[in-house]
Amino acid sequence: MSVSSSSVSGFDAPLPAGQRFLPRDRESFFDAQARNRRTTWRLSALCVIAAVIMGIPLALVVTPLLYGVALIVADTINLFSPLSPAFWRLANEIARFGIVAFESLLQHKAADPRTLVLGTAVLLLPGAAFSVLLWLGINAVFRRAGVGGALLALKAREPNQGELKELQLADVVEEMAIAAGLPAPRVMLVDAPGANAAVIGTSPEDARIVVSRRLIDDLNRDELEGVLARLIASIGNGDLRIAFRVTAIFEACGLLVAIINSPFGPQSRRTLWRIVRCGLSGSGNNPQEAAAVADLLTRSVTLESDDIDRFFDPTTKRSKLRSRRNFLFFPIFFTNFAVKLSLWFFSGLVLGPSVALLWRTRQYLADASAVQLTRNPDGLSSALQRLNQDSGEVPGGGWASHLFVVDPKHSGRMALDPATAQQFRVLAQAWDVSAGGTSQPAQDDAAKYKEASAVFRAAVMGDTGAVARIHAFTQALSVTNPDLAAKIPSPADLAALRTGDPAALVRLRALGTVFGQQSPRRTKTQEQSPDASSWSVLGFHPSLKRRLKRLERMGAHIKLEASDSKTWIVGLVFGLIFSPFFLLILALFLLLISIMVVTSMTFLVIWLAFIHQAFALIAHH
Amino acid sequence: MHISPQMIGLVIAAVLLLWVISVFNALVAMRNRVQNAWAQIDVQLKRRHDLIPNLVEAVRGYLAHERSVFDSVTQARAQAIAAGANLEQRMAAETILSGALGKLMAVVENYPQLRASENVQMLQEQLTSTENRIAYARQCYNDEVMKYNTTQSTFPRNLFASLLGFSSATMFTAADPERANVMAKI
Repeated sequence: MSVSSSSVSGFDAPLPAGQRFLPRDRESFFDAQARNRRTTWRLSALCVIAAVIMGIPLALVVTPLLYGVALIVADTINLFSPLSPAFWRLANEIARFGIVAFESLLQHKAADPRTLVLGTAVLLLPGAAFSVLLWLGINAVFRRAGVGGALLALKAREPNQGELKELQLADVVEEMAIAAGLPAPRVMLVDAPGANAAVIGTSPEDARIVVSRRLIDDLNRDELEGVLARLIASIGNGDLRIAFRVTAIFEACGLLVAIINSPFGPQSRRTLWRIVRCGLSGSGNNPQEAAAVADLLTRSVTLESDDIDRFFDPTTKRSKLRSRRNFLFFPIFFTNFAVKLSLWFFSGLVLGPSVALLWRTRQYLADASAVQLTRNPDGLSSALQRLNQDSGEVPGGGWASHLFVVDPKHSGRMALDPATAQQFRVLAQAWDVSAGGTSQPAQDDAAKYKEASAVFRAAVMGDTGAVARIHAFTQALSVTNPDLAAKIPSPADLAALRTGDPAALVRLRALGTVFGQQSPRRTKTQEQSPDASSWSVLGFHPSLKRRLKRLERMGAHIKLEASDSKTWIVGLVFGLIFSPFFLLILALFLLLISIMVVTSMTFLVIWLAFIHQAFALIAHH
Repeated sequence: MHISPQMIGLVIAAVLLLWVISVFNALVAMRNRVQNAWAQIDVQLKRRHDLIPNLVEAVRGYLAHERSVFDSVTQARAQAIAAGANLEQRMAAETILSGALGKLMAVVENYPQLRASENVQMLQEQLTSTENRIAYARQCYNDEVMKYNTTQSTFPRNLFASLLGFSSATMFTAADPERANVMAKI
């Protein structure tokens, strides 16, 4: 029993050459957790400030709209049963305060502080209250809907306990839950092409762990433990609630846009109606519907291709009545644009990045907590490295990308959804067979696709070799998949195309769409499905390097290549050169937003006065 | 508005009382977590006892000539169950049981064709998981004890924690035979 203390503790072990860590750079996972918790508090404060900053222009725009709705309702009631003069006096008073504040804002007119404060309240409070109500409403609707819809969207299934790997997964989940002192969450499997895992849910009680089947195939037990410890630690830290509230903010923004768009287009009205139905239907009645609505809401803020464009599209024919309606709605157009512009600007540059930073801190915290659970930082670090080598794409998981262990949108390698990938493989195989060893076959799928399209182009131009190749390809394909082979144009078609036969052209176009769907390029557009991070210029996932560095400080053994200081300096220089331009652009945007807000308010006031007068005229008669 | 000294005193007293209440509640929650973690160790040990007969049955057929290993496992299990509430005896018996199960796994490792069979792999996985669960339950208990002890013994909470009936909990430490095992390996 010769026990040498140095081999046990490693304190006296010789330092490897080029070692970057001194003992003081080490950090225990308890310290790391405490540090990240403190940072969370600071960043939460930042988020609240960002939300307030974003709320001011929004409230300024929304408030007059609310007054407008109230005024129209009051006027309509007044038509049938006249309201008391006291009500109109109150309305006048409110309007006066608002106008005083508005004027002092625009023309720096002096006013006594009390009127100014009251006026600001009149201008801001209803809009702010409305936004908060929207947020609370969204919170309530989606909390009731639960996570069932998300699981359906992901096509999640229960693990099969009779299979070794899936049994291992269920075991590891149980072990990690025991280590964290939590009830074990339910675990679901997704047969997705990417290796990734996520925890979804609204609270620790209904949390589900979703793991892609490839993850358990790719990782060994230690790595699997690391990943699941991270997910379960995230549940224990209360990240689900934070994520839920954060997504609710963005969904509320989407709802606001939908409400403001609703006079203009059927699309937004349909979305609104679905939300209302979702809110009214009983608890968890229709989880799928809730997921669909969440998807719609996160999508609806994109500035282009809106109902409103179609509405004001000058090319569509419209009747006299319609053009009058357009005239009537014209002020709301400004409001609409002001809301969308300020949402886009402030959420992208102010609220989004602060939320992203907050979420990154939570991820670091979860990593540190995972180390506490497994006491094995190497498991998590090597798992992260391996997961980042490959695409972590999980179809149907785009909206919840922030809940995954690694960013599901990062493109390590091309990944296709299973059906398309299968079809693509058949095509690629046939292509290889048809090559017949004549030429050097292309190695990866993307290169094959490129080669195939080049050969097709050559065949259309009349290259006989290319035509022969396509013939061989069609024959090889008809062995494995006759349906697909039927879609390949015959050499006769290609010849007809050269002479300009329109029918052949149509057939070739159809082929192009078939192949277009199967080309690896298509997945790029698939990746751009909307999610919370599309609201921010800053991603919600910290970079792999930063995460590994933190794990290394907690004791993981990682071979990181030395960071390139040159690129850092180049970036700094570029930043310094371009920062004035950026600032200028920012200032211009702010100016544009304030102009839009003021224009919208002015138009709305005129519009309201107009409508009120119209009502007064009707009442008079 | 005039602020009297009495009012300031009252406000300070109220804040102090609220703080004491919150500390008391936090300590109670932590103590419950410690107790729960302790119970979890028991649950996992019990689970192992329940699992062992099935596990042994699953490989007994393949390893009829390795009777001594099976006997030691069954014996250790019986001892652990018999120890009952006597903590010290029980922990010693559980340690022996862990050793016996480890030996069983080592024996299985010696038969390549056995190792390749799906059934045996499942068994290995279950044994690994069972041992892991016990280890993690102990680790969780110790983490909770550390948190609780730190909270109740740091200033200024230590001034009244013992008055409110909070005493420090003891950590779970490896029994001597287990530690001796580790030393021997080094």
